[in-house]
Amino acid sequence: MTTLVILPAGIAWLLAAVIAPLDGRRPLWGWLAATGLGASLLAVVLLLVRVLREGPVEVVAGGWPEGVGITLRADVLGASFAAVSLAVVLVAFVHEVLLGVRSRTFPALVLFLAAGLSGLFLTGDIFNFYVFFEISMTASYILTGYREENSQVRAAFIFAVVNLVGSVMFLSGIAGLYHLTGSLDMEVVAGRIGQVELSSIIPIATVIFVAFSLKIGLFPFHFWLPAVYVGSHAPVAAILSGAVANIGSYGLLRFGADVLPDALSFGAPVVLVLGVVSIVYGAMQAVSRHDTSEVMAYSTIGQVGYILVALAVGGPVGYAAAVVYSIVNSLNKALVFLAAQLRGPLAGAAFAVGAFSIAGVPPAVGFVGKIALFKTSIEAGGLLETTALVVLIFAGSALSFVYAFQVYQRAFLAREYRNNKRPSPRATRVLAISLAAFVLAVGLWPEPLLVLGTESAALLLEGLR
Amino acid sequence: MILAISVVIAVVFASGAFLVLQRDLLRVVVGIVLISNSAILFIIAAGLSRGSAPIYPIDEGAVSDPLVQAMALTALVIGSSVAALLLAVVYRLYVSHGSIDIEEIFRMEMREAEELESMNKTELDPEEEEVADERKLEKEEPR
Repeated sequence: MTTLVILPAGIAWLLAAVIAPLDGRRPLWGWLAATGLGASLLAVVLLLVRVLREGPVEVVAGGWPEGVGITLRADVLGASFAAVSLAVVLVAFVHEVLLGVRSRTFPALVLFLAAGLSGLFLTGDIFNFYVFFEISMTASYILTGYREENSQVRAAFIFAVVNLVGSVMFLSGIAGLYHLTGSLDMEVVAGRIGQVELSSIIPIATVIFVAFSLKIGLFPFHFWLPAVYVGSHAPVAAILSGAVANIGSYGLLRFGADVLPDALSFGAPVVLVLGVVSIVYGAMQAVSRHDTSEVMAYSTIGQVGYILVALAVGGPVGYAAAVVYSIVNSLNKALVFLAAQLRGPLAGAAFAVGAFSIAGVPPAVGFVGKIALFKTSIEAGGLLETTALVVLIFAGSALSFVYAFQVYQRAFLAREYRNNKRPSPRATRVLAISLAAFVLAVGLWPEPLLVLGTESAALLLEGLR
Repeated sequence: MILAISVVIAVVFASGAFLVLQRDLLRVVVGIVLISNSAILFIIAAGLSRGSAPIYPIDEGAVSDPLVQAMALTALVIGSSVAALLLAVVYRLYVSHGSIDIEEIFRMEMREAEELESMNKTELDPEEEEVADERKLEKEEPR
């Protein structure tokens, strides 16, 4: 059964190596890659079910004794992030195959990205996390410039340079953690870090926090994000904001709440303020923009703020909200980016579901995320804090309602749209509508999602005791 | 030794950061290479211990830490391959724009976008001119 931990990354990895030299523009290889992604996703879902029933699964790679070899560890938190990320990658990839792949390397790159993602979510070793993280990031740098339009290549360069600086900071953080604890295993580091003085943990925690904030585009580190999203190809934007951005929120949860809980509770006020600023800034900027992808880029900055607020409040309710909101956000973003470019019957409906979900209107899944956040702000403590947070989240949602429907009007009700009668291929519309139906279904039956949230929170809090 | 190595890391990182902030894209790539190498030096420094080489059979006494060497090697491989990728992107930008100055590339793209927009305007039918005027008004309004 332990092979299930290796399978998700393994299938994608092997298939990527096989498909890399082949001509990815041919539909046959595209569908083969999609099948491989589907198999990876299936393995992750099976793993998730097993982890929920029986607790974390551990494998030490290469048959080394425990404590010597690299540990691969699947727990609820990692497996849920892996499942949602792989699902988004799969949907975006199938969308692109239906539209017609334009580059030989696209399927192989998406597979490498999926391998890196599932590897980093399912590892228990800090340095191994970094290696998988670099694999998926490198694939996403190339994917950003996929259509090879000049602005996309420029965006890929900016994306690569900024994120490489972030990766280097994270690498320095790893070196610091290794120096302090003498281990690279997350559990061992978390166990030993309690004996280290807080003053030596804080700089390392700050470096790691900045590295992950760069990845998800938190407010003061967001500057690269609009440049990358504007003009990017829709499936690529969906992969970037729905799957690659999960690395950041997972990293913050894993390294903040699990490995360095003391540093997180010490820095909670800063995290809270940054989250709040991010919500307000992202929503205001999004309201004032025109282009769909630009609005959604700023919306991403705002949505990240909610995750940070939940992380700062912490506790079982806060961590659960952070996990639930990350999952909800990646589903929303994938749906919105894919549906925004489509034309024809029901494409607007799929987009509207995504827009409703971002605004947090029931019965879309965004509502579940917003409810979790409201619970979190009630947990926050003092009356003043609670009121401030509730008002903030309400105002943020109202603003997201405004920008989501401004985009809807411009993309689907404007005269340009009505004049443009050529509908997109039916299969891509069916795909977007099924994703929209999924978003509605999870919103109507949110128990599994909430269980993932509470179980992950319980797991993260276990280390504290 | 600690002082010496931290000064070296600081100098390498600072030179890298300075180069990343330049407009010339080649300098940016060199800056990234320097920054990633400063992190590799930092990894080595994190496990800097005196001792014999950890090769079996191990001698009596202290053994130096082999794990940091393995990490440094991995990070070096990743760093060099990413540098190659960045250089390829710079070359691609040079081929399409004939320049590797980021400001110039950006200006060129703005000009292209404007040209495209003016071309679209002239392509409109005379019948549709009314529509275009309306559209112009609509566009101005939300701002």
